[in-house]
Amino acid sequence: MRAFCQVALLELRRLVRSKTALALLLASVAWMLATPYLVKSDGTLDGARQIYVRFSLGGVFVLCAISLAASAASSLALERENRRLQLSRTRPVARLTLALARMFALTSLGAAVLAMSSLILLCNVQGDRLCNHVAGPVMESIEAEAARMYDYYMADPETPPEIKAAKKSTVMRVLRQGALDHYQSIAADETAEWTFPAPQSEKLSVSLRFTNDFDLRDDVRGEFSYGAFRGAVSNITQAVVHVPLEAGSGGVAGAQDGKLRFVNMGVSSLMLRPRKDIKLLSGADSFRMNLLRAYLELVSMLSATIAFAVFLGAGLGRPVAVFTCITFMFVSFASSDIIGQYPDQFETDNVDRIGLALTRAVEYASRPVNSLHPLASLSADECIEPGEAIPVALVDMVLLPLLFALLSSFAISLREDWI
Amino acid sequence: MNEVAVSLAGVSKTFRDFWLRPTVKAVDGLDLAVARGDVFGLLGPNGSGKSTTIKMILGLLRPDDGQVRLFGMPPSSVQARRKIGYLPELSYLHPFLTARETLAYYAGLCGLGRQDARRRIDQLLEMTDLTAAASRPVGGFSKGMARRVALASSLIGKPELLILDEPTSGLDPVSTHEVKMLIRTLSKSGMTILMTSHLLADAQDVCRNFMILNRGKGVAQGMVDKIEGSLQDYFLAKVGEERDFKVAPFLEGGAGA
Repeated sequence: MRAFCQVALLELRRLVRSKTALALLLASVAWMLATPYLVKSDGTLDGARQIYVRFSLGGVFVLCAISLAASAASSLALERENRRLQLSRTRPVARLTLALARMFALTSLGAAVLAMSSLILLCNVQGDRLCNHVAGPVMESIEAEAARMYDYYMADPETPPEIKAAKKSTVMRVLRQGALDHYQSIAADETAEWTFPAPQSEKLSVSLRFTNDFDLRDDVRGEFSYGAFRGAVSNITQAVVHVPLEAGSGGVAGAQDGKLRFVNMGVSSLMLRPRKDIKLLSGADSFRMNLLRAYLELVSMLSATIAFAVFLGAGLGRPVAVFTCITFMFVSFASSDIIGQYPDQFETDNVDRIGLALTRAVEYASRPVNSLHPLASLSADECIEPGEAIPVALVDMVLLPLLFALLSSFAISLREDWI
Repeated sequence: MNEVAVSLAGVSKTFRDFWLRPTVKAVDGLDLAVARGDVFGLLGPNGSGKSTTIKMILGLLRPDDGQVRLFGMPPSSVQARRKIGYLPELSYLHPFLTARETLAYYAGLCGLGRQDARRRIDQLLEMTDLTAAASRPVGGFSKGMARRVALASSLIGKPELLILDEPTSGLDPVSTHEVKMLIRTLSKSGMTILMTSHLLADAQDVCRNFMILNRGKGVAQGMVDKIEGSLQDYFLAKVGEERDFKVAPFLEGGAGA
């Protein structure tokens, strides 16, 4: 433990005395204070708040991730190049400790910078505003729907032969995306219904987005009902709207059958993707508590990124490690957008396929970090569920650093002995 | 108690390139034994395999063949490393740390308790005459002062075996004399010392036993006292003839005219 503390202290001293820590802290504070003046809002107060929350803390996170990952990738590589690592390795200290303590020190600095930025954010945003638990409709799983559609298409004689000849995993990937974007039509005067899990409170609202056949902006008129709760919709399509559900007189709390119903009272058909466009919201705790959970997720994402960077520095030369780490981070951040640009890979050429395969590999490898969207949830007042945040935080802050520290210790030894 | 501090039996090490093709055989079937309490000199010209041998003794490199033991234990074991102090050829200090912080860092790596570490650091700073400079970053130290910090840090864990790689390299005559005195003092306290040096007069002054390496093989071994004449002459007789520079053709070509 003493060795761990000394290595961590050494790393912190390096960051402080090289002015890296100070520069990071000042840049973060400056960004937090300048964001409202730099980022344009959509003209509404709520829009301005959402953009401020997302871009201020998001900017600080990107700043921390890039600078600390670069420092982490340099750390062991620089020690090895200067032969100081050899000197440390002649002492009775495990290689695992040398890597793990560095990860801890760098993550601690990132956590301190993020904590300070979160406090600045909290001073500028109403801390006691309510966030909501978010529930989607209970439906057949995406995997099951994709498998069902696969069987259907393979049996269908009209399915093009190149699709029938394609690898099952490729077709399934397309079908999974299709299932996510699967549209449901609601004709005029028709009632649609979706089953939701029991809400966690009685402060209910519905978040929804409709479109119509021609993707035009059009009036939406209708009424939601959920047991004794009612809410009227009068808005335009293509915008995300929140419809508060009010309890009717003598109504029972929540729907006995768990069904949310919508009556289309407009003149034209409406369409929506149930898996994406409709959510039942129920009141949770405050923005302050949600910020705390978002902070935990951000620190855990940073921790996993730093652990990966330290591992790269253990096995590669400094410039190569830093370049690989930063490139990997950018590709992984952009991977879901890149993959989204190519929804149907049957239309792409071989170069695109190779690029997509690489992007998918990076996306898959970085899923423990990129599957989290704390700032999107925080800005939209969607509750980051502790039951989801804590296991992910444990994986990113404990398991991944341990795994990368173990790999780093092998890399240190291998590098010395081999090259 | 094991009377042999360091033993190497048939140790070989070949370096390879990225594709695992052998590039150079740095150590070739080396046998070596250093007794407890001895001051042993590992001597040889550049590229003779001294540093590779030292790295294998320190557990930084794994031998391809043969066996290395420190006090009967494999050198990579934590128990063995608790007994080692190592002074590299260059000091390799963290320039942003002060002398005291440097010693505290290595004390922490050796697992010394806080009180024990503080007492030991004060003793070593005093011993190396660095007390006045203890709070200055070592990046601003002269080479001699940096060498003394490195020497102090090699002694922080109370080692039983001290491995010194060119301990007097780059030091002025006064500092060289002080280091040699220190080695003698440490030896008298029972510490085993294994050192490499190019400065054979220095080695002759402090070593009791020696081995001369050339091209990865031990070409001579013995006691310093038993050599007739200087160690320098003996060394040149063993390896010097193989390094005969062909100067005549160069001069005949007009150089120096």
